[in-house]
Amino acid sequence: METDALNTLVSGAIWRADQLETHGIRPASQAWAEVSSLEEELAKALPVSESEGRIARRGAVRAALKAGDYDRAHALADGYLAEEAGPRSLKTALRKILEEDAQAMASRFPYASKNHSLREAQVLARRFREAGAFGLAA
Amino acid sequence: MHPRLPTDLALVMVGRAALALERNAHASGVRLSLDLERVLSSGMLSWPGADLSKIDQHDHNRITEDGAEAVALTLGHRHRAWRVIRRMQREEHADWLLEDSRENVRQVVALEISGVDRGGILARLSEKLAQVAKSTDVDQRWAGVVGFEEPAAALHFTKRQHRGN
Repeated sequence: METDALNTLVSGAIWRADQLETHGIRPASQAWAEVSSLEEELAKALPVSESEGRIARRGAVRAALKAGDYDRAHALADGYLAEEAGPRSLKTALRKILEEDAQAMASRFPYASKNHSLREAQVLARRFREAGAFGLAA
Repeated sequence: MHPRLPTDLALVMVGRAALALERNAHASGVRLSLDLERVLSSGMLSWPGADLSKIDQHDHNRITEDGAEAVALTLGHRHRAWRVIRRMQREEHADWLLEDSRENVRQVVALEISGVDRGGILARLSEKLAQVAKSTDVDQRWAGVVGFEEPAAALHFTKRQHRGN
């Protein structure tokens, strides 16, 4: 797909996700997953040497975190960090995005972060977000 | 004007601009005070009529913010020939990424926009300039603020704010 079409799609997707988040509507995480996919496609289409390519790489990781998809966020970040042509500023920014999210997680779920690894806390957070805090096995 | 701007989004923004202006008792063709790069002038703002009976279907703040985006993006194109590239996530410290292709050199512009329903726009403009100054991977950093009580719009640029150690 052409980058112009992807840019148009990502604009609409970010706008929708922002609107849902403003109203505290639950499917916002699905909207952010869509944003992350479109940002990833832009990142594939645009080299890391271009500013728009770097913005898309940061966007793909950030949106995956907003969607609560930590595996995807870390996988994307690992891929972008491994790009030889990637400037140090981008790699620093990507690490900072992940660190800030981990810190936010620790402050949102202090008990979980104290008693579990970050990965376990992320799994718990995702489960709570999707199903609520009280699961009932059938 | 902005071919990459999604049509549905453009329609919502223009509709909310109309609501923001009409709830402040303005009619299409109103005089708009302009502050473009600290040069003062005025223009005339026209829009398709809004149905104020449906205003409750919209969030109050979104009317102001989305309406401001419609006016500022129009102004950016008229004044600087900018075209939208894409919307940005808020952590990029700007709402829109635009391109400035004048003088045969393409420059990438970060534009942060805000609206003020009541009162002046200068204090908000300072806040937004400080915000967009943090934007990275762009050639130019701009803030645009639109006031709806006494229709006014300002578009200023700023230099990048380098992070200290």
